[in-house]
Amino acid sequence: MVSYILKRLAMSLLIIYIVVSLSFFMIRLMPGNPMAALEAQLRMQGGLSEVEIQQRINAVYSVTPDAPVWEQYLRYVWGAVRGDLGRPITNPGTTVVAVIAEALPWTIMVVAVSLIISFVIGIAVGAMMAAFQNSRFSQAVTFVVSFLSAVPSYLVAIALLYVLTSVYQVFPSGGAYGVDVTPGFNGPYLVSVLYHSVLPIAASVITSFGGWALGMKGSAVSVLGAEYVRAAEARGLSDRRITQSYVGRNSMLPMVTQLALSVGFMFGGSVFIETYFQYPGIGFYMIQSVGQRDYSLMMGCFVLITVSVIITNLLVDLLYPLVDPRIANPAARARAADQPADPDQEVLPAGGSMA
Amino acid sequence: MRFLSDLWRILRHDKGALIGGAIVLIYCLAAIFGPMFVEVGNEQDASQAYLAPSWQHPLGTDSLGQGVLSQIIVGTRPIMIVGVLSAVITVFVGVAIGLLTGYVGGVADTVIMRITDIFLTIPGLPLIIVLASVINTTNPVVLAFILSITAWAGLARAIRSQAMSLRSREFVEAAKLQGVSLGNMVGRQLLPNVGPYVAIHFLLAITGAIYASVGLFLLGIAPISGNNWGIMINLAMAQGALYTTDSAFYLFSPMAAIVILQVAFVFFSRALDSVFNPRLRVQ
Repeated sequence: MVSYILKRLAMSLLIIYIVVSLSFFMIRLMPGNPMAALEAQLRMQGGLSEVEIQQRINAVYSVTPDAPVWEQYLRYVWGAVRGDLGRPITNPGTTVVAVIAEALPWTIMVVAVSLIISFVIGIAVGAMMAAFQNSRFSQAVTFVVSFLSAVPSYLVAIALLYVLTSVYQVFPSGGAYGVDVTPGFNGPYLVSVLYHSVLPIAASVITSFGGWALGMKGSAVSVLGAEYVRAAEARGLSDRRITQSYVGRNSMLPMVTQLALSVGFMFGGSVFIETYFQYPGIGFYMIQSVGQRDYSLMMGCFVLITVSVIITNLLVDLLYPLVDPRIANPAARARAADQPADPDQEVLPAGGSMA
Repeated sequence: MRFLSDLWRILRHDKGALIGGAIVLIYCLAAIFGPMFVEVGNEQDASQAYLAPSWQHPLGTDSLGQGVLSQIIVGTRPIMIVGVLSAVITVFVGVAIGLLTGYVGGVADTVIMRITDIFLTIPGLPLIIVLASVINTTNPVVLAFILSITAWAGLARAIRSQAMSLRSREFVEAAKLQGVSLGNMVGRQLLPNVGPYVAIHFLLAITGAIYASVGLFLLGIAPISGNNWGIMINLAMAQGALYTTDSAFYLFSPMAAIVILQVAFVFFSRALDSVFNPRLRVQ
């Protein structure tokens, strides 16, 4: 168990290191070198001495332009370790980390809530589809669910905006809470936060619960045909016992695995949803910084999105042994990993293939 | 031929898949031949803006008085090119890595699979957005490479596990005894056995690439030039289409074009799935 956790931890740190390095080299190798561009811009403005210009660039990209590349790199990585990702060009008075620290909770809230809601709805609908196989009901639900899971989330966002904020002004069109409430632990503020999060959450639930439902149906159908379910029936166990402890638990396993993979996808999709609903999450700032060529903020958002995804994956990995005790046992895990994946189940990935 | 007759039998019984396949076919034809019959001119006539649908402009006109339908038809080709190219790259890399590592095993397998895990963990869409904004290209091939940057990893993992189970089969043993080359082993012996799985993944990779590429144009990250559905929606939104009902056709037509194509791909891929997986037909 300890080695399982340590391995996951080491892998997570390695990926974070790679992404931080990637962001360093991308800013440097970018065509039109943004650091040189900033330098030229500061010279144009005039009134700054050479040292001041260097200091400004150092503040923005946390890189000293004159130093050799390896020294710049070490400084950058060391800065990232201490939580210094430079300053946004568009607002040098604050730091990239401060901007993100404000935005991240909103994104995590929307992603987590919509992931939980779509997972629960998907599992319930999928189990129902498996229970009433080949009925009219199941066929109709399969159609609707396949349809919804094929629709891009940003189009649902636009449609919701058009109908519910423009034509019928039922929901607010932007922001995380209203201007007339004071942030803090008070009723009106919490209600306002909830009210503003309805549309972003709805847009991602509508497009993602279908994937869960289809996955759960496939998983449950294959478990229904398993020998141990027939054995349980032959032993005369109650239907409830069979559905809960035999079918339910075993068909949930592949779904929990998918949960970890889909976290990254949800964070990616939140970029679109936050942009359209002007929801001040990390994806919103990322797209804004792209538009304003604010590369230090853009890379900071990218690094922090990746770190959030990795931490959530790690949490799912740590919770996984609770659902499947085999996983913490190295021998059983090796056996499971070597087993060929069931092609029926993996064909339609829950949450999309661009994760 | 067996394949085609199987496919037809399945399609005949599954209306959704039949319609899906037909729609995919129509889009392909529109992408290939559309620009020969329809063109989007340069003349702009603001007095013709936001016309209601008519015989001349079946889906109305945009803010510059140009027909929406002709823009959608012309916009099909760039979307399909990027989608298919990206799917080709994704599938090629995924299958090559999956088969090789699964068959060869050992240290190479361990190392490459760790790298694959890294690509699997990094969130794809934010990485694509960063790369696209850094590279800022209009070249469809480069765009296709950016879009497949992480998409191959999941496929490689799935193919690898299939290759591992194939490794111990008799025909592989026999080929090994005959001393066939690695290229022959992977391409001639293993590949045909994962073919069906790859075919379905190819279709799904196209939908994934279309999702992401339209998203890039929508957000204005990929350069806005020429005609495609993402650019149409982007322009419509920028011109305040949300706040006026006049432009509803302009805004919703490209959205419908995307949704119909994506749904058609998914339904058609399901039919392919049951051709290849007879077990699914029984259920």
